[in-house]
Amino acid sequence: MTKLQEYFHTEWSAMTGTDWFGLVLTVVVFLVIFVAYVWVLNPKNKEEIESHRTMLLDENDIESEK
Amino acid sequence: MFFIDRKGVVAMQAEQQYSFQIVKWFAYMAVVYLVVGTGIGVYIASELAWPVLNFDNPYISFGRLRPLHTNAVIFAFGGSTLMATAYYIVQRTSGVRLWSDKLAWFTFWGWNLVIVSAVITLPLGITQSKEYAELEWPIDILIAVVWLAYSFNFIMTLATRKVSHIYVANWFFLAMMIMITYLHVVNSLSIPVELFKSYSIYSGVQDAMIQWWWGHNAVGFFLTAGFLGIMYYFVPKQANRPIYSYRLSVIHFWALTFGYVWLGAHHLQYTALPDWTGSLGAAISLAMIIPSWGGAINGMFTLSGAWDKLRTDYILRFLIVSLAFYAMSTFEGPVMAAKTVNALSHYTDWTIGHVHAGALGWVAMVSIGAIYHMVERLWGTTIWSVKLVNLHFWMATIGTVVYITAMWVSGIMQGLMWRAYDDYGNLAYTFVESVAQMHPYYAMRAAGGLIFFLGACVMLFNVTVTIRKAIADSSAKSAATANAVI
Repeated sequence: MTKLQEYFHTEWSAMTGTDWFGLVLTVVVFLVIFVAYVWVLNPKNKEEIESHRTMLLDENDIESEK
Repeated sequence: MFFIDRKGVVAMQAEQQYSFQIVKWFAYMAVVYLVVGTGIGVYIASELAWPVLNFDNPYISFGRLRPLHTNAVIFAFGGSTLMATAYYIVQRTSGVRLWSDKLAWFTFWGWNLVIVSAVITLPLGITQSKEYAELEWPIDILIAVVWLAYSFNFIMTLATRKVSHIYVANWFFLAMMIMITYLHVVNSLSIPVELFKSYSIYSGVQDAMIQWWWGHNAVGFFLTAGFLGIMYYFVPKQANRPIYSYRLSVIHFWALTFGYVWLGAHHLQYTALPDWTGSLGAAISLAMIIPSWGGAINGMFTLSGAWDKLRTDYILRFLIVSLAFYAMSTFEGPVMAAKTVNALSHYTDWTIGHVHAGALGWVAMVSIGAIYHMVERLWGTTIWSVKLVNLHFWMATIGTVVYITAMWVSGIMQGLMWRAYDDYGNLAYTFVESVAQMHPYYAMRAAGGLIFFLGACVMLFNVTVTIRKAIADSSAKSAATANAVI
């Protein structure tokens, strides 16, 4: 076993229910984040997302500077 | 004949349209707690430089006043700022009043009761001894109830909004509310044995891991996510420019929310915690530089094409300089998390310097900018003295720089002295020798803190006079208008 393999070696039989829950949740969240990034960075969605940039300036302004 | 000027009219209209009374109270109390919290900080910094100031009195000794200082600045000042700004932003961006005024006032009095409880119990030595979670179990329950009321009111206001999109600042507040509920409850789980004595349900290394999972996420979600919500609203509003990139703000949000929860283990390098846990914490810490800098750049680039505003707009200066400190401390933190650097920096004053770069430079500065912005709009007036805002800006900036520079030098010196060996493998210095070497830097730190504290006093004076003048003007104009009608 190389040093790298040794470092990443996992004793799967020793995994408890809590370990599995944490592992599955982490992987699922990672995938959801990945999908979110793909969606956000897709050029097709740029216009839709960036349309919210001016939301604060468009809000029903009650201030004197407008 | 008198007329109410436009600012006065819009403030009155705003008061009717939104629940701003609660925002006013939280905002003003935040300024009061800034003065109190930094004042206690200066005193305990002076105690470290000149131990005679402990006066052999346990109630004002460093050990008891230090948690009072951290609770005052984080939860009293920071918490009041977060509640004021969250209530302000959610109404403005949703186009509706708060869902429940009564619940909002419950959070105000409940939160202040928590603060008063801290002021009483901590100097008496009543503590759970968990950093940033010192308060005993009855107060912990009160915190949870008040925090849930605050979160519920915020969520219900969002649910009744008149606009379809939820602005990104509200996302950051939501992340903070959800995670702080979870973190506070789990970390505070304990077995009460008396009214003011309890023992954590965790022990040993698990207790340490849970504590720093809470500790670093108090930084990540209470002191970062919430204040990023403030940044994403007040920087574009004060600059009157759209945010540089909305896509970057979405990525910033998800990366920060996903990443921060992994970092706590970097507080426990070279301890009984499994080695891989600390390595993982350090690796994710380094990865967090990317979203953190993305957010800082997003805020700063909002000024693209309008940098000249920094010459005249002192409130904007507070907001933009806070982002510079945010970028600096979110680079420094991951570097300190790396094991090689941590071996030198851990347990030294470098950590204190790092924390205050974030606390004074980022959290306090962005809060101060937001509060000045809100005071003008909530009371429909202009700040009484722009010169004093300018003075405050320079005092806050110089005070922060003096403080963190002193701690960097003393921290690195401590680390080097503690690890120095002679030719025979013996420690080159005793611990007390390192303490003696710290004296000039501790005095310098107290001076930096004092400058920052005096700046906060200037702010309290300026804000108080502004509010009193606005109220007096409003009363005079109302009376004149009534007389004119008669």
